[in-house]
Amino acid sequence: MAAHTSRAFLSLGRINVPGLGLHKSVSRVTYSTGLSTDSSKATTGSPQKGGKKVLSKKYKREPGDPRTELMPVDQDWTAVYPVATPFIPDAIPLPVRMGCPVKGGAPPEKKGNLELIKIPNFLHLTPAAIKKHCEALKPFCTEWPSALDTDAKCDEHFPIKVETKSYVSAGPSIRNPAARIVHLSVKLSSLNLNDQARKKMLKLVGDRYCKDTDILTITADRCPLKQQNYDYAMYLLTVLYHESWKIEAWEAEKTVADMEEYSWEGSLSQENILDVLVRMKEAGEGEGEEVREQLLGRREVQEYKDSVTRLKNEGENESTMLQYKEAVKKVLKL
Amino acid sequence: MCGNAMRGHFHVARGGDKTIMALHRVSFRLRQTVTHVRSLHTSGGSQQQEAVAAESEPEPLSIFRTQENDPACQSEKHFGQYYTLPSAHVRTVFPHGLPMRYKQQVKTFNEACMMVRPPALEVISSLKKTDNSKPAVRYLFYGLKGSGKTMTLCHTIHFCYTQGWLVLHVPDAHLWVKNCKELLPSSFNSSRYDQPLQATEWLRNFRITNEPFLSKIKTKQRYVWTKRESTEEGSTLGELVDQGITRVKTSSDVVGAVMKELRLQSGQPESDFRLAVAVDGVNALWGRSTIRKMNNTAVDPEELTLVYNLRKLMKNDWTGGAIITTLAQTGAVYTSKYSYLPKELLGEKGFDSMDPFIPVSVPNYSEKEFESCYLYYMDRHWLQYPHSRTEDGKKELIFLSNRNPSMLERICGFH
Repeated sequence: MAAHTSRAFLSLGRINVPGLGLHKSVSRVTYSTGLSTDSSKATTGSPQKGGKKVLSKKYKREPGDPRTELMPVDQDWTAVYPVATPFIPDAIPLPVRMGCPVKGGAPPEKKGNLELIKIPNFLHLTPAAIKKHCEALKPFCTEWPSALDTDAKCDEHFPIKVETKSYVSAGPSIRNPAARIVHLSVKLSSLNLNDQARKKMLKLVGDRYCKDTDILTITADRCPLKQQNYDYAMYLLTVLYHESWKIEAWEAEKTVADMEEYSWEGSLSQENILDVLVRMKEAGEGEGEEVREQLLGRREVQEYKDSVTRLKNEGENESTMLQYKEAVKKVLKL
Repeated sequence: MCGNAMRGHFHVARGGDKTIMALHRVSFRLRQTVTHVRSLHTSGGSQQQEAVAAESEPEPLSIFRTQENDPACQSEKHFGQYYTLPSAHVRTVFPHGLPMRYKQQVKTFNEACMMVRPPALEVISSLKKTDNSKPAVRYLFYGLKGSGKTMTLCHTIHFCYTQGWLVLHVPDAHLWVKNCKELLPSSFNSSRYDQPLQATEWLRNFRITNEPFLSKIKTKQRYVWTKRESTEEGSTLGELVDQGITRVKTSSDVVGAVMKELRLQSGQPESDFRLAVAVDGVNALWGRSTIRKMNNTAVDPEELTLVYNLRKLMKNDWTGGAIITTLAQTGAVYTSKYSYLPKELLGEKGFDSMDPFIPVSVPNYSEKEFESCYLYYMDRHWLQYPHSRTEDGKKELIFLSNRNPSMLERICGFH
């Protein structure tokens, strides 16, 4: 991958397997404080085997203040939550409430709230933690080239952008099938295409092209490995480019219905207007061709042509309709 | 309140001598409405003119009515005002042209009043300037549902009639492409289909409208209907039309012959009539039809004789008249309820056939027109409840109807 100067995005997959050895020690401490009163009852209530009565009461420690009271405001949060840990109400100094509110009341508080424990939290990924991650990763990174300081320069030198995702998770297998997907995006303006080639390219790619941003996106996921998909996507781009430059014999049979845009020359509208003007005897006497040329050169006819083209290409709304009306009135001399 | 006391006078003085009551009415109205009129955003000159005109004339005249019943003499100062159509005209010019609800309203109010609106006057002023030697210009009224396109068309037709034009009015082209009870293969051209019932009905109404022309126009061609029946060259149009009405089987072809004759003859130096072709729901000609053939395949509108001949009329290759059309989604088949713009209702083929045409937008009522309509309904006692006479009631009407004419008419029936 060193040969490819492209940006790959890393994303850490969530560790979503609770209850592993990581968490055992922490959780026991939390729950045991809540159970203190019950444990005393249990020992006194249950009879021992053999009828001997045990009189010694277990020493019960008073629960101290929750850690939230003792936390300074400017503490290092990354030390409190260094890794992904379930929600610990006594370690998080926020008055969070979650759950279905009691009628006329508030949702239940955070102490002993199972809903807060069930959901994933990102307390281990605060901006301070991310900064620390970046600092830790910096020794392994190379410098960004200083010549590429604007987006425009990046587009100019590296028009093809490849997006891939890789996944990290702890589980029986380190493979993730979603990591094979490759998105290749390129701006069509950076490809050398003439008018016919561009139209053919657009017809070939169909939905993969976005007209607003002029970006063609090829997504490859049919091969099992990322590298294979990447090769396939580059191959597709090459083939599309070369195919769109080729002109087949049957392309000459392109009909009006196939055209992407409406062109006024040679259309019914042109015939109609010339017909009308000839009958109105606007041009005076003359031969067929010259009369047509002369009429087409007139300013009103040009305006009419613009209005019809705009109406057909842009669709109709009040402004295009008004423009068309004015143009027709001028042409028909009303 | 003095307003309520006046109401009592109305019931007594309908149709009789209303001068005294009317003067009270005028002053009450002026007090009530001059404030409204002044706050509206219309040209300052026209408001002052209206107020002055109302005050100076001692005749029973309200802000919303005008005495100018001739469409040719109406101008911008009559915008928003109602003019009355003489009942003789309503019977002859509109045997089949008016919208159903409007016909009911005419019967209820005992008068046919139509509002003067800018789109109609725009087309009327263009029609006044039409050149007989130039090809026919096509006008197309388009707008939201219920915004008054058919009524504007009727206004324009009334103008053409008062000017002595020959009016060829197709009230709803959609009726020709759906619900056809009888479909006969055409005798003239075996690939086409005839619709005798619709054709006869249309011929009857055509005869009512254009009585004076029927004896004046002569046919230029010989038409053979069957082995024994034929219409000779030089016979009057009236005979041709009668032939179609009596012999129902040939009526569609008669319609075609009538259209052809009129198209050929109008604009010629020897004929002294001008032809106005008015079609409501012109998008039906290029749309789809719901009629099925015997083998259950759909009939293309082109295969119907009536539609085929009407399409030929829609082309602007004839002179000496005008073509005034309306789009209609209301009776249209296979079109979305919300479409109202010309290109989407006409389709590609329709647009290319009508091109170049002048699209005229018919919007919902402006504030001034709404005021006028509101006052008219109050005057006619269409607004029954006292709540609708208050400012709140008026705001409610504006909100519920969004100033859409047909919605307003329906809602006012409940208020």
